[in-house]
Amino acid sequence: MLIFTLRRLNLFIFTIFLLTVLSFSLAFLFPGDALVNISGQVSANQEVLAELAQSYGKDQSIFNQYVIYVGKVFSGDFGVSMISDLPLLDVISTLLPATVELSLVALLIAMVLGIPIGFIAAIRHRKNSDNIILSIAMIGYSVPVFWVGLMAIQLFSIELSMFPSAGQISPVYEIERQYGILLIDILLSDSNYKWQAFSDATSHLILPAAVIALAPATIFIRLARTAMLEVLETPYIRAAKAKGLSFAQVVYSHAIRNALIMIVRHIGLQFANLITIAMITEVIFSWPGIGRWLIESIYQRDYTAIQIGLLVLSSFIFIVHILSDFLYAALNPLARGKKYGS
Amino acid sequence: MNLFDIRNLSISLKSNDTDILAVDRVSLAMKEGEVRGLVGESGSGKSLLAQAIMGVLDPKWSVTADRFHWRGQDLMNLSPHERKAIIAKDVAMIFQEPMLSLDPTTTIGEQVEEAIDPASLEGNFWQRRKARKSEAIRLLHKVGIKHHEICTSSYPHELTEAICQRVMIAIALAKSPILLIADEPTAAMESRNQGQIFRLLASLNQLKSMSILLISHDLENVTHWTNTITVMYSGQFVEAGTTKQIFKSPLHPYTRALVDSSPAANIELPPKSRLKALPGSIPILQHLPIGCRLGPRCPKAQRKCVTAPKAKNYHGHVVSCHFNMKESGKV
Repeated sequence: MLIFTLRRLNLFIFTIFLLTVLSFSLAFLFPGDALVNISGQVSANQEVLAELAQSYGKDQSIFNQYVIYVGKVFSGDFGVSMISDLPLLDVISTLLPATVELSLVALLIAMVLGIPIGFIAAIRHRKNSDNIILSIAMIGYSVPVFWVGLMAIQLFSIELSMFPSAGQISPVYEIERQYGILLIDILLSDSNYKWQAFSDATSHLILPAAVIALAPATIFIRLARTAMLEVLETPYIRAAKAKGLSFAQVVYSHAIRNALIMIVRHIGLQFANLITIAMITEVIFSWPGIGRWLIESIYQRDYTAIQIGLLVLSSFIFIVHILSDFLYAALNPLARGKKYGS
Repeated sequence: MNLFDIRNLSISLKSNDTDILAVDRVSLAMKEGEVRGLVGESGSGKSLLAQAIMGVLDPKWSVTADRFHWRGQDLMNLSPHERKAIIAKDVAMIFQEPMLSLDPTTTIGEQVEEAIDPASLEGNFWQRRKARKSEAIRLLHKVGIKHHEICTSSYPHELTEAICQRVMIAIALAKSPILLIADEPTAAMESRNQGQIFRLLASLNQLKSMSILLISHDLENVTHWTNTITVMYSGQFVEAGTTKQIFKSPLHPYTRALVDSSPAANIELPPKSRLKALPGSIPILQHLPIGCRLGPRCPKAQRKCVTAPKAKNYHGHVVSCHFNMKESGKV
């Protein structure tokens, strides 16, 4: 397990290294002065610029400049936004938790719905229910997310008025900010309207999370179905049946865990996809997250924001990836121990 | 008394347009306490036959039979569910490749415990867990695993093939079966471990009077351990008799060839000369010959062989050939 952890950590360090190299080089690749791009000081006078050049080590070699840049990034000095002139660290630390909340809830919905439905499809292989589930999964995967988002608003917010169409919480509630993740902040606050705020925030969250979850859920359906079919063919399932266990027992105690192992491997990959969908959905639902802000920054050519936004978002995706790897190791004894010949 | 008696069991695979008859009207009967070998080349349908008896075949195969008696009880009249319940209670099976037959993500201890029938445990529900544990340890000791602490907390990939096969046998013994079907239990195992497994099976047969159906592709290897042998070829019944009959006076040309092809039979051959063997290889399922499926390879084949021969019984030595050694007066 220690070796496994060290290997993941190693991978993490290398990925962060490459990401920072990319983010650092973007400052030179974007149009304009590299120093302005990296610091975000658009309207600085000569004196301030000279000071900045000093602090970013512009007189030194490119390697030293990179080291200084990484040092600044890790100490939280992300520069300022070229448009709003606000420190990017503050902007990101207010926006990122909303995206984390939305995407993790969406991932949860996708897994909780998708995996059991996929298992059912595999168990009912080649029957009508299997075909129906597969066709629905195919349709769900094919429809574009912006259309689904608009249709969901049209149906659930405007026609049925079940869920609100925009925002994270109704402005009447004042919630003290602690961790930034709204649902947790509400639970920790000592407001008199705690539970009303909680239900309001949940109803704001459900619709965008469900829209984001649609495509990943259909992928999980198909992954779970393939994995389960594969597991049900294996000799140990046949042996378990020969033991005299009923089919339900075989599925419950042997098949599910082995099928889950195959699915968990893909969570990390699917999460990157999910974040892309979440960025578009944040725009549609005016969700105050980092995805919407990043898309806006791209429109406004806010190069500093783009650099840092990419770095933060991809680090977040990668952390989830690593966590899913640990989940995989927890489920699979073969991944944990030392392997012969590797 | 017959333990089980199967007549004309056929297994077919529904393919796109044609029906492939993988096992063609095979009969098999066993007495209580007997060790019977079921011998044939790979692809002769012996594993299919065993899985059909256990009822663990894939649904894509369809199985038909004229008779299936289990200890005097006719199983053909029962629903598949009832049949499976009876079979699962009294018959256990061990497979080739034991490591693949154990769930890779569950510890050995849990897998052995799972096989123990809850009805056999005594005590109240809080004592059950402990009783189950000690029963599992007892089973592991029975198959010759001394260090049960290491074994129960291990996963299958951490143990050797031979230990895994012992665990499989322990799992099979959990319900104290009357019949154990061993489907090539020692395939891909070193000869030393092979001997250990066979000795374990033999002692179980003698001490518990457990009947064993030993499936193997190696005629010579099973002769030490079996009382009777049934030979199959390409899904058809070839010959059945006591081990001595099969080995000393084989009646079917195929059995003759099998016995002649073993290294022991060829010991007097001069060096660097060819071993005796039938020409050709076993036909694939898509291109099965009509009549006797040995036809194209058989040294004695004649025109009559395009119709499948009926099994003839010579004092318990059953053979299915138009021109067997008895007919042609060689024995």
